Amino acid sequence: MSFAAGLWGTLVRDLPLIYPQLLILVAATVMLWPGDVFVPKGGKGQWAAVTVVVLAAAAFLVSRTPSGMGFSRMYQVDGITRGFQYLCLAAGIITVLLSQLQLNLHKDQSVEYYALILYSVTGMLFLVGASDLVSVYFSLELMALCIYILVAYFREQERSIEAGVKYFLLGAFSSGILLFGISLLFAATGGVTTNLADLNEKLALLPASSNLLVFLGILMVLVGFCFKVAAVPFHMWSPDAYDGAPTAITAFMSMAPKAASLAAFARVFGSGFGGLHAEWTAPLAFVAAASMILGNVAALRQQTMKRLLAYSSIAHVGYMLLGVLSSNVPGGVQAIWLYMLTYLLMQSGAFGIIIYLQGKGEGERIEDFRGLARTRPVLAFAMMVILLSLAGIPPLVGFFSKFYLFKLAIEQGHVTLTVIALLTSAVAAYYYLAVVAAMYFKEPAEGEVKPVSGITSLVVGMSCALVLAGTLFGAYLLDWAGTIL
Amino acid sequence: MVETFLAFIGRNLFLVFGLMAVGGALALVFSKNAVHSVVGFLFSMLSVAGCYLCMSAEFLAVAQLLVYAGGIVVLFLFVVMLVEMTKFKEKGLFQSQTPYALVAVAIGAAAIVGVFVSTWFTKSADVALTLDPGLARGLDVAKENSQAVSRGLFAGYLLPFEILSVILLVALVGAVTLAKKERV
Repeated sequence: MSFAAGLWGTLVRDLPLIYPQLLILVAATVMLWPGDVFVPKGGKGQWAAVTVVVLAAAAFLVSRTPSGMGFSRMYQVDGITRGFQYLCLAAGIITVLLSQLQLNLHKDQSVEYYALILYSVTGMLFLVGASDLVSVYFSLELMALCIYILVAYFREQERSIEAGVKYFLLGAFSSGILLFGISLLFAATGGVTTNLADLNEKLALLPASSNLLVFLGILMVLVGFCFKVAAVPFHMWSPDAYDGAPTAITAFMSMAPKAASLAAFARVFGSGFGGLHAEWTAPLAFVAAASMILGNVAALRQQTMKRLLAYSSIAHVGYMLLGVLSSNVPGGVQAIWLYMLTYLLMQSGAFGIIIYLQGKGEGERIEDFRGLARTRPVLAFAMMVILLSLAGIPPLVGFFSKFYLFKLAIEQGHVTLTVIALLTSAVAAYYYLAVVAAMYFKEPAEGEVKPVSGITSLVVGMSCALVLAGTLFGAYLLDWAGTIL
Repeated sequence: MVETFLAFIGRNLFLVFGLMAVGGALALVFSKNAVHSVVGFLFSMLSVAGCYLCMSAEFLAVAQLLVYAGGIVVLFLFVVMLVEMTKFKEKGLFQSQTPYALVAVAIGAAAIVGVFVSTWFTKSADVALTLDPGLARGLDVAKENSQAVSRGLFAGYLLPFEILSVILLVALVGAVTLAKKERV
């Protein structure tokens, strides 16, 4: 009896930590049943508005969540948790807004689409606060499983199904590697704990004979995370999955899961394996350098905009891994958060424009941007601002977020990596500017000019305005991030 | 001779069951006939149940038998019988990349075996079922197995357990989303 009473007591005490997740979970489940029964066929698009409201309400709840640790120290709310939760929720809202055009064109609105986005966001909210390897693993799975399904959402398109199956198989395999690594660490520390803080203490006390086992375990966890954030050499799935997925889901994949996995990456390696920093610095530095080089070089040769952004997002992950590498954990996480925030702004605008040009799914090649300045000057200007910012050209906001990351890396002594990052940024500027040149200096193709949908232009306008506003305050951004995290 | 062999097996039952599980998994992957694959899967799952028994996790072993051997294998057999497998026959298992993959796998496997040999599992293998001392209060974990599992699920691992339930729900929703006849 006393044990059960104790359980109830801890549950009541811990529940306020996860109110945002509970709200989203309950809302998504009620949407599926019985909510969907009352919505007539053809009116499923209404769920988009409900989803946006639920996500915004969750963001409000996040701001009210108390700091603390709960659920047998499986879940922790602190500034980092809240900061990344805002990013994931914002990415969810942007995705829902961007989805409208394509889903309406394909007549493919359904309640499941929105429910899956909500479930996935729940997984992310759990992931960024997970302070135990077990809860990290399960929230990672919840986040990823929803995205596998969403990638294959346009099931009558072979490309979409292929992308989904590829992503699913490789994702399941990498989860196996991650889990094996976790179990090795669990065994090496005596089979008592998977809590990150405890693990860090135990790992420091281990005898030298078990070093190899620990190293293998950490390496496997590293591989698992690198797969989730699509870092080279575990990036193979990402261009195909980006290409085949519905474009709004591509935008989602490049924003939300990346933010959540990077937060968990930094937390696991910073606080869990922080004592063994020397062991995993070399492999991670290799991964970061390879991602920057291969991502940027491969992006040069792409013909379609989605694949170009896929490869460039691999390169951006390479930059952000500099923050994970930093032994100054709070500083690294702040730099990642800031980078992710600006990246989210720019990606949402870029994908908004792609979705506008794409229509039913044909015109997503870079050629389709030719002469956009002639036919749609405002849109072309927005795209130019966003692309220049993505390239990190001063004084735009993308420059400042890169600058903070590189400064941190130099302070930590990763000079070679920073030089590689700078050189590859120059390469990146080339392919971003190629698109700008196509928009401004080439003749437009023949054909009628499509009307702009209201929601898409809202997203693009917001993104462009925020990028420009961020540019004005660039010098204060890091201090501002410090007050939030 | 025989006695020492039997004694060795008795001491290393976990190892024996583990090797059997790996053998079943290999049969699952490499057999050409889908039904044979399912039988290999069944064998592998039964061996894993044996592994659980060796670690004196009786409840988990029985649950494994019921769920996998009882439920999932039957489901797989149904799927195998309902789906026409003949049209996938001509697809070979080996492709142009296979040699490279085999070399990479061999190197990786050698490295992992090397690590295991050099560190040789310490005490952790024979600890029955670890439970937070706070949770294990008033409980003989080695004997009261199902109680220990329930405390783990509802106290120590409550959050992952509930997340897992959402994952299962998502799997159902996803199956419906991808397979439903019409979508409006």
